[in-house]
Amino acid sequence: MKDSERRIAVEDLLRLKRAERPAPEFWSRFESEIRAKQLAAIVVRRPWWDGLSNVFAAVRRNRFPFAAAATLALAWVGVHYAGGLSVAAHTAKTTAGAPVAAAPVQAPAALVAARVEPRRDEVGTGGPGIPPMQRPVVASTASHLTVAPAATRAEPEARTPLSDGIAVALVDYRGMNSESVRQGIFGSDREFESTVASVRQPPAEPLASVDPSGERLERLLAPALPSFSSSRAPLLASDRMKQKASYDRMYESMDRYGTGGMSLEFRF
Amino acid sequence: MNASKAIGKALVASPERKLEADADLAVVRQVQAGDVAAFDRLIVKYRERVLGIIYNMTSNSEDAADLAQDAFIKAFQSIQRFQGQSSFFTWLYRIALNSTLSHLRKNRLRSFFSLESIREDDPVSREILDALTDKTGAGRDTFVRELQEKLNDAMQKLSINHRTVVTLFEIDGLSHQEIAEVMDCSVGTVRSRLHYAKQLLQAELQPYLR
Repeated sequence: MKDSERRIAVEDLLRLKRAERPAPEFWSRFESEIRAKQLAAIVVRRPWWDGLSNVFAAVRRNRFPFAAAATLALAWVGVHYAGGLSVAAHTAKTTAGAPVAAAPVQAPAALVAARVEPRRDEVGTGGPGIPPMQRPVVASTASHLTVAPAATRAEPEARTPLSDGIAVALVDYRGMNSESVRQGIFGSDREFESTVASVRQPPAEPLASVDPSGERLERLLAPALPSFSSSRAPLLASDRMKQKASYDRMYESMDRYGTGGMSLEFRF
Repeated sequence: MNASKAIGKALVASPERKLEADADLAVVRQVQAGDVAAFDRLIVKYRERVLGIIYNMTSNSEDAADLAQDAFIKAFQSIQRFQGQSSFFTWLYRIALNSTLSHLRKNRLRSFFSLESIREDDPVSREILDALTDKTGAGRDTFVRELQEKLNDAMQKLSINHRTVVTLFEIDGLSHQEIAEVMDCSVGTVRSRLHYAKQLLQAELQPYLR
């Protein structure tokens, strides 16, 4: 045969692989499958971590700018927070210190500083966590009592309104050794003085408003002479009860004395 | 050496490939503009070549079909990122070959053939088969099936680089110079690799050579 005498090389065998092709109907199935996958790729959304990985990839690519921005943000927050605390402390000092300057307090600062010690167990509702800006009571208490020693103002965050009020009041009370101090304290607050003066009533004698003779006479004659009391306002039920009781007591006493008719005998 | 990169460069080396790349780029722009149906033209145009390359690398028709479909889907999903710096077929081929290499590494220990039938409507293949056997009917079909299995078995015994060189030379029809430029090596290296691969194939296919 002619074909059998043909020389066959490796290249000829490899050319057979070009002829390894799928049947034409394969392409219709291939097309339908790839169309379904294409539609699925369009419709089906990517999972949420796919976007997350993109975010991380962006951060990883720009890690130096992100790190610098984060450092700046942290620094700004730190400075801002620390600055806010310092401003609040300064405001508290200012509000607490202003009345002190205006008030003519003569109390010794060392004595007050020694006795005003902040107690944590007395914090109660106040709490140390409350910023100094939220403690207006301290300032108002100090303004009323006009005592805010320098040593006490040095630790504003360790005080509470309650402890300050108690301590200051105690110090004031114990510190009023001299009449000048007492006058300085109570005489300094004219508003408080005027308020107390308006509320204060003039001294009145309770017996002065009572007519002792008339009342006593009425009380004595009422059981015996009902007409005496009827001249006044109509009797109340309690008055009638008292009146009836007085009659009963009178009859009992008559029985006890043995009064029968016109005779009188004593029984023991 | 990155085989997909090498092959991609080879495909844009010739002027015909350049013109083809320009035509593909116009279609890709349409797809990027929102004309999804235009991508079907690219699929129809390149499906046989993509499937042929993957099939000759894997020697498994089912895996080749799946990998080819996945390659097209990945290309469709990433079409917006295609900048046109290389030809579309280069880009598509890189996707397909990367998927194929990943598949081959994953299934290194599990390799079985699922071969397509040899189409005897091609006159060259018919001539070769007639020269190999004078049998007809069922005996011829059995012989062709046995030869096909031996041929694919010999291809799978080659390394990736040697298999790639053989595939580029025999399937895609690239010249030695193009392959050398693609694989970033000398022409001698290409010839050497091709010669070595053919020696291995010749040793494996000795009973069928005359």
